[in-house]
Amino acid sequence: MRFAQRKIIPMSVLVGSIFIGCSTDLALKQNTESSTSAIRAAEELGATKIPNASYYLQLAKEELEGARELAANSKKVQATSLLWRANADAELAVLLSHEDVEKNEAKDAVNKVRQLQKDNQLSGH
Amino acid sequence: MKITTGMILFSCFGFLNGCATTPNELISARQAYSRASHGPAATLAPAELHKAKEALSKAEHSAADEPSSPRTRDLSYVAERSAQMAEVTASILSERAKVSQAGRDTQAIQGEIIHRAKMGMNEALAKLAAVKVEKRGLVITLSGSVLFPSNNASLLPSAKTRLDEIADALLEAKDRTLIVEGHADSQGSHRLNQALSQRRAEVVRSHLISRGYPAQNIEAHGIGKDRPIANNASAEGRANNRRVEIVVGPETR
Repeated sequence: MRFAQRKIIPMSVLVGSIFIGCSTDLALKQNTESSTSAIRAAEELGATKIPNASYYLQLAKEELEGARELAANSKKVQATSLLWRANADAELAVLLSHEDVEKNEAKDAVNKVRQLQKDNQLSGH
Repeated sequence: MKITTGMILFSCFGFLNGCATTPNELISARQAYSRASHGPAATLAPAELHKAKEALSKAEHSAADEPSSPRTRDLSYVAERSAQMAEVTASILSERAKVSQAGRDTQAIQGEIIHRAKMGMNEALAKLAAVKVEKRGLVITLSGSVLFPSNNASLLPSAKTRLDEIADALLEAKDRTLIVEGHADSQGSHRLNQALSQRRAEVVRSHLISRGYPAQNIEAHGIGKDRPIANNASAEGRANNRRVEIVVGPETR
């Protein structure tokens, strides 16, 4: 019985360590993919040409790069944590790019209404 | 006195200690959430604001356990971005609302333009003929004696000019249905009056088509002597009954 206990405890520790290691790897992989795709989405939406969006996009890229370096040095927990920042910055860059598009569309629509009112000499609504 | 001074010093120390241990990221996150929750995001983006609240709560819990740990700083950083995202989402929705409003304004203006055109048409027609609004539509009444010689369905030269002007006014709204009705007085046989009023209605229809009004939107009907508007006993009454009416109906679209 004691012999069995002696074997089970180190085995449990080993399995637990493997499990934690695997889950860290998985989180790292998922966060890297998520940040990379958010950065790509922001770029496709033209974030590089929108001042505030490009700022957050740049931060996200630097954080992703930093996380890769940490992961390469086996600092996976810190890398995952840094990827949270990269993901948040990239997602903000995506939203800011959308906002820029919407603002321009709204501006155009309002200008068209004003022009239509002016052309037909109507008072504003 | 000494006790009070001691308490004040202790409080100040505690306050300064608290400030020193709260990471800047968490302070920024709290400010960002406070700003977002007091702005348009509260009404326009409640779901995103809720996410921001949860992110801040996560950061606060982490700060309670390990105030200056990298995890607390990172969670606070994410919480700040989350609050910013709620604000940007609200801004996006606000811009979309402006686009929708502009669309409604454009429709209203276009409606006003069409209304003005129709009003312009009505005014122009009123100068050329008797015009009245009935249930069946706008009715333009032209005296038969002005348009045709007696017992004849050929337009008088002066009538052509008058019809040209009426056609020009009607062309302002050529997507409307027109019904041209020929009416006769009670003199003569029913068959003769019916045939004459039908021919007259068709002549007027053809003239309007020749001026550019869409043929598919005009019908011609001979009513004969069935619908008098005046007493056929007098010459004046009969003259009033000999007429052509153009009924401007609803839009065909």
